Amino acid sequence: MLDTILVVVEQREGKLNRVSWETITAGQTIAAATGWTLEAAVVGGSAAPFAAEVAAKKVAKVYAVESPKLEPYTPDAFTVALKQFLAAKQPKLVLMPHTYQVRDFAPKLATAMGRTVISDCIGFKHENGKLVFTRQMFQGKLAADVSFTSDAPWFATFQNGSFRGDKAEAGAGAAPIETVAVEIADGVIRNKPQEVFKEAKQAVDLTQAEIIVAVGRGIKEQKNIEIAKQLADALGGDLAASRPICDSGWLPMDRQIGSSGQTVAPKLYLALGISGAIQHIVGMKGSKTIIAVNKDSEAPIFEIADYAIVGNLFDIVPPLTEEVKKAKAGS
Amino acid sequence: MPVLKILVCMKQVPQKDAPLKLNESGTWIREDVSYEVNEPDAYALEEALRQREKHKGEVVVITSGPARAQQVLREALAKGADRAIHLEDDKFVGLDAFNTAKAFAAAIKDESFDLIFTGLQSDDYGYAQTGVILGELLGLPHATIIMHIEKTDSGIRVKRELEAGYFQFVDMPTPAVLTIQSGINKLRYATLIGIKQAKNKPLRKVALAEVQSALGDNLQKIERLYVPQKTKKTEHIEGSAGEIAKKLVDKLRNELRVL
Amino acid sequence: MLIFRKPLEGIERPQMPADVVIVGGGPAGMACALRLAQLIDAHNAAHPDSQLSKENIYVLEKAREVGQHCLSGALLDPRSMNELLPGFEKEAPLDAKVTKEAVYFFTEKSKFKFPITPPFLRDHGNYVISLNKFVKWMGSKVEETGITIFTGFAGSELLFDGDRVTGVRTDDKGVDKEGHQKSNFEPGYDLQAKVVILAEGPRGSLTKQLITKFDLAKNANPQTYGVGVKELWEVPAGRIAAGEVIYTMGWPLTTKEYGGAWIYGSPGSGPKDNIVSLGFVTGLDYADPRLDPQRVLQEFKKHPFVAKLLEGGKMIRYGAKSMPYGGWWAIPPVAGNGWMILGDSAGFLNSARLKGIHLAIKSGMLAAETAFEALTKDDSSAATLGAFQKKVESSWIKEELWKVRNLHQGFEHGMFAGMFHTGLQMITGGRGLRNRYRAKAGYEHMRKLTDLPADGGPEALLLGPAKGDGKLTFDKLTDLYHSGTKHEEDQPAHLVIHDTNICNTKCVKEFGSPCQNFCPANVYEMVEDASQPNGKHISLNPSNCVHCKTCDIADPYQIITWVPPEGGGGPNYDGM
Repeated sequence: MLDTILVVVEQREGKLNRVSWETITAGQTIAAATGWTLEAAVVGGSAAPFAAEVAAKKVAKVYAVESPKLEPYTPDAFTVALKQFLAAKQPKLVLMPHTYQVRDFAPKLATAMGRTVISDCIGFKHENGKLVFTRQMFQGKLAADVSFTSDAPWFATFQNGSFRGDKAEAGAGAAPIETVAVEIADGVIRNKPQEVFKEAKQAVDLTQAEIIVAVGRGIKEQKNIEIAKQLADALGGDLAASRPICDSGWLPMDRQIGSSGQTVAPKLYLALGISGAIQHIVGMKGSKTIIAVNKDSEAPIFEIADYAIVGNLFDIVPPLTEEVKKAKAGS
Repeated sequence: MPVLKILVCMKQVPQKDAPLKLNESGTWIREDVSYEVNEPDAYALEEALRQREKHKGEVVVITSGPARAQQVLREALAKGADRAIHLEDDKFVGLDAFNTAKAFAAAIKDESFDLIFTGLQSDDYGYAQTGVILGELLGLPHATIIMHIEKTDSGIRVKRELEAGYFQFVDMPTPAVLTIQSGINKLRYATLIGIKQAKNKPLRKVALAEVQSALGDNLQKIERLYVPQKTKKTEHIEGSAGEIAKKLVDKLRNELRVL
Repeated sequence: MLIFRKPLEGIERPQMPADVVIVGGGPAGMACALRLAQLIDAHNAAHPDSQLSKENIYVLEKAREVGQHCLSGALLDPRSMNELLPGFEKEAPLDAKVTKEAVYFFTEKSKFKFPITPPFLRDHGNYVISLNKFVKWMGSKVEETGITIFTGFAGSELLFDGDRVTGVRTDDKGVDKEGHQKSNFEPGYDLQAKVVILAEGPRGSLTKQLITKFDLAKNANPQTYGVGVKELWEVPAGRIAAGEVIYTMGWPLTTKEYGGAWIYGSPGSGPKDNIVSLGFVTGLDYADPRLDPQRVLQEFKKHPFVAKLLEGGKMIRYGAKSMPYGGWWAIPPVAGNGWMILGDSAGFLNSARLKGIHLAIKSGMLAAETAFEALTKDDSSAATLGAFQKKVESSWIKEELWKVRNLHQGFEHGMFAGMFHTGLQMITGGRGLRNRYRAKAGYEHMRKLTDLPADGGPEALLLGPAKGDGKLTFDKLTDLYHSGTKHEEDQPAHLVIHDTNICNTKCVKEFGSPCQNFCPANVYEMVEDASQPNGKHISLNPSNCVHCKTCDIADPYQIITWVPPEGGGGPNYDGM
């Protein structure tokens, strides 16, 4: 039997979690490197509609793993259901996005099968026929290449943003879909989850932000922070600051980035008027893309910036905000 | 009133801003750094102490690691934990999450806890697995990233954190395993009296040999550990403010795909 | 509005009785605890019916871990350790035995080696150590004896009853920036102690309280200090040998400033590298308020000899600490009703040999013997504790310090005068021109900007912040990052400035706010403020503090009082 990679996509509240496309891309990439077959699975009360969506991508087959007991999500039900399915299917590698839900059941599932999960990976390497998974350790200070020393199935979860969801290849035609009904006995499910609800968060959690606009001393006065806020709003991002801004009370402490504040790694970090002292850099150097605006061409921030703009932020930022608004309105 | 027995699993990790050096083989770090308690575990301990204050009971702390890991237990005892268990051996450092959970399960096999807490993940590995694995090994229900715990007639009601500002309450029976979110409460300080009293609290040492039969080979292996290389080429964007704005938006949209 | 740290008033505090409280877990405090434990154990073995307890003997250490705030070059003269723990060298962490030493006089581009190492700088028989590691080891020995070391607890004020010191109050924990109790507030304890021993290191804060309250220093010379700014480096093997000791004088200082550098070699982590401890001590009696001791160290590293030594190496840690230079005449009375003062807090440092650790340890031992007598007699009055003063005066501490009692004072008028006096003192058993040379406090030497050349003159390269090239030299913030300093952010400022108006209206004009320069940790900053007459006001970054005490010492108006921040905060001098 050919080795199979199985991507377990995530659906919640009637929608496919779009991070699943990133996992599909990951699966396709690993399949291309190893020559293994790529399949996908959706798990839920009624998984068929989601399966159809997934089947449009370039995968060999899609499974709709169903049982009314899988709605709402509980770790007990998902573990029992997937264990049944995987024991029968015997894939070589099971991939999932590293979401809160996957964190909740994946280690339980692997343990129930006597297997293990390499979680929160940011990439993989295929060297000399050996597959290793790359992940960050010590809060991003070091990277590790980790391999499985157990039998299949191997479980790996990928970090949000480690692959590009828009690069998931579409299939030539729709992939075949197979519905798999799973048996979940009475008494298996022990948790009783209530309705999911949204709450105005007390504290800002910049570690979850995808886009951050940060200000430093270059903003000069508290009232000028508004300029940065406009840009952050236009981009749909969060406002943050280097230490001196928070120390002066211009922004609350929970917006501070740096060794004495938060460590973040968003998709995009815009540093406005930040010189780049090491205390700040250690809090944001893991950002995927860094754009820095500073009057001083020698500012250390430029050493870690992907895009450097040497200039006056008061000249640069307002037109940028306008262009962003235009682009968003137009698209 | 039934006495609530809570176990808090704690880990000693390198200090957050300790400069890390790789060992000879490049598979782990050199151990000559400063250590501290894994921050999420400190919050788990605080939550356990608060639950005991509300409901009366016993808080037991457990850790696995070399002799230096005892410090974490001493600090926990100084803050008010009742007793401690130390799985002491250098070799515990090299165990994967699966075996670590197995070692804990073996060490507590003669006890029955109502609640088992771990921090949501460790600051060194960041796997977020040990608590969930332990729940499965013990056959207990679990919930992760818990913000709040209330006792109910049928067990507990916990508040679970989800992505993007969402939350969920879950009713669960006890005994149960919970992984606790960081920052949910204000950590208490150990007092001088607490530190003095900690010296006389029971600290049971468990040797590797005692739990060896429960362990197996590691199921995964760190092939190599390294400093991530950033191949960064800084691109300067020039021109008038208007030109720069347009060029940037173009990049944001087409290359970075954030628009 | 800056709110400064002080013990909360009108609250109930837990009371805890103690026999002996040692404030400070450095070499003096640890040696004292060890010796006391030895004496008590010996007593208990011989007197099974009248046992003394160690249960109520405490060491208070403000760092999170023992040794974390200990910084020195360092070279250890094993004389006192041999008395305290014979055979200690078999188990203590000693980096290397000193194998060779050299003293250089630097000019900007070259150097002149002293053909003969001055006798007081000969280190044969001494060890290169990391004080941090050594004190950690001492701490483990203390723990073995059963004496409790409370880490993360600072002594915030002394408790008095008339002329008697009755105990120590520990720091209030969980107080926010505005001075209000947070939800996890814990009041400091009042440790009611029979004997309080102050071993806080240079410019101790409780020591300062005590000296001020009882005017103890009225007959002594004012204590004078230097600040040592240190970097620990990893360099490729072959540049320096383990146990190699180098001292330099001269460049980048001019003949008017007092100070010099040290470079010590230690074994590396493997055969491919060595650890180098290097640092520059600048006397805190310089004239130009723009002088920046961290800058001085960076300039020093640019000297071809040093640059070559460090090439391709990596700076792994940074720190700073003041040290007392005043010598014998600057030591106040060291014992009184319920109290004793040890080590650098008292000023037991040999400024000629640039060593104080062995004297700190010896003073700790003598204090322990005195404390032991006090415990057996159940009497810690000035009469009993005064024995400590006598023991010091009849010990080799006095013998050693007496010979160099006038050394630092001789340099008050520059290097040539200093060398003349030193030479004279060497052949007159330390006397020189007269038995006791007077001294001026360091800050009194600081001149106003109007008295100095605008461009700084020959001192120009010592003035103002270092820019740093990021490889050999570093700007202050980058260096500071490597001190590992961390504090609870939400707490009152522990640099107590008694009148910020002086900062904003007088000092800014007269001295140009030298706090920005002499602080090696970027704690002090003058920020723009249009509402102020001089356009600026003083702003603090207290959590940058490395606890060196330079500000308390050097501020020309003497309006800064350093008090310990919430216990557990401060630098992390691992390996230093």
